[in-house]
Amino acid sequence: MRVNYERCGYCGACVGVCKSMALELIENRIVIYQERCKGCKACMIVCPLKALEE
Amino acid sequence: MRRVLKEEYDVLVVGAGPGGSMASYYASKGGAKTLLVEKSQEIGEPVRCAEAVPRLEEFNIYPSEEFVRSYIKGGYLIAPNGKRIEVKGGKTEGYVVERKIFDKYLAIRSAKVGTRIAVKSRVVDLYPCEDGFKVKVLHLGEEYTVKTKIVIAADGVESSVAEMAGLRCKKNPMEVCSCAEYEMTGVKLLDNHMMEFYFGDLSPKGYAWIFPKGDAANVGLGVIDKKKKAIEYLNEFLEHPILEGRLKDATPVEFKCGGVPVGGPIERTVGDNIMVVGDAAGQVSPLTGGGIYLAMSCGSIAGEVAAKAVKKGDYSMETLLEYERRWKERFYNTLMTELKYKNILQRLGERELNIIAEVMDERLEEIDVKKIIFKVVKKAPSLLKYFGELIA
Repeated sequence: MRVNYERCGYCGACVGVCKSMALELIENRIVIYQERCKGCKACMIVCPLKALEE
Repeated sequence: MRRVLKEEYDVLVVGAGPGGSMASYYASKGGAKTLLVEKSQEIGEPVRCAEAVPRLEEFNIYPSEEFVRSYIKGGYLIAPNGKRIEVKGGKTEGYVVERKIFDKYLAIRSAKVGTRIAVKSRVVDLYPCEDGFKVKVLHLGEEYTVKTKIVIAADGVESSVAEMAGLRCKKNPMEVCSCAEYEMTGVKLLDNHMMEFYFGDLSPKGYAWIFPKGDAANVGLGVIDKKKKAIEYLNEFLEHPILEGRLKDATPVEFKCGGVPVGGPIERTVGDNIMVVGDAAGQVSPLTGGGIYLAMSCGSIAGEVAAKAVKKGDYSMETLLEYERRWKERFYNTLMTELKYKNILQRLGERELNIIAEVMDERLEEIDVKKIIFKVVKKAPSLLKYFGELIA
């Protein structure tokens, strides 16, 4: 999973559904901890802006 | 700031939204030494909300020109076929506020009764220790370990803090409404003091809204949809024929987005030395997506319970369960009923929504669901299948 920072609105909706704690919202930046990501795509579903990409 | 992070506390509240500021206010007022930790460098930023709040007098907070942008008398519910239902008075009254200023106002109000605040300070971990938690806070690249007896997690939809403490509060993606909103100026409103709600295919499993906000208006929507994004629906909504060109001359001054947990409250909102408040706890109206009133109410209770626990010197789950008991007593049944209504609404197509609007009176003071269902089923018996569980 990666974040397209040009599209991201840093709302943190993706962080709220990431059960593996692979996402964090720090100020106006979503950070991904790749080693924790299980590829469930929950973040892609809730993102209002299509900012998460595989 | 650094000094603040080097002390020990009775209560540490994570997140300076309305829930966290009310919790810290009542904790401080009750005599507990309280720290409010906010990860952003500015309280109130970024805004991810349509900014409508109900009347706040019960919190002893009076509408101030400082943060109130519009007074709201009620709303229009607008069916896919354009039929408008006016709901006025009672619970529909309130304000549209400037959240950036409102949130800061509430934090300052809390500071005035003794709360210490750390901004640009992010909780990165916490672990239980004798009589409380050690909370690791990162501020300007430096890590501080802050000892506290009680943690109140009011860290919003992201809800990582309670999760770190072992409470399950991450949400299911199909229970999070994905929202996008433009604050626009030049909008022709139906009425300067009425909110507008639009239902149907223009915003699947959610609704679109136009809320008056001073010289501007919040124009947005929330959807639950795997195929298309909220922003795509929003851009279509701006040109939707149902608006009859009322946004033709409108232009945005701000863009906001966010996720609203509409799946009801989380299973457990209390553990040893910890309470969860607001969006993090799923304390959001599943029907409207409104969370400010609930966060403020539940936050107030959590703050009071925390102060009492500190006085008693007992921070166990058993003592803190008073919080869960009290907030559930006030809101649980309503939240679960709304959850049922929401699940039914989400299954209705435009045809069904139009039938419901058709049988409803054009002017209402409050929405009597049972009465409406009765009328709907009388007019279109085929719709009975949707309401079975409500009538039973």
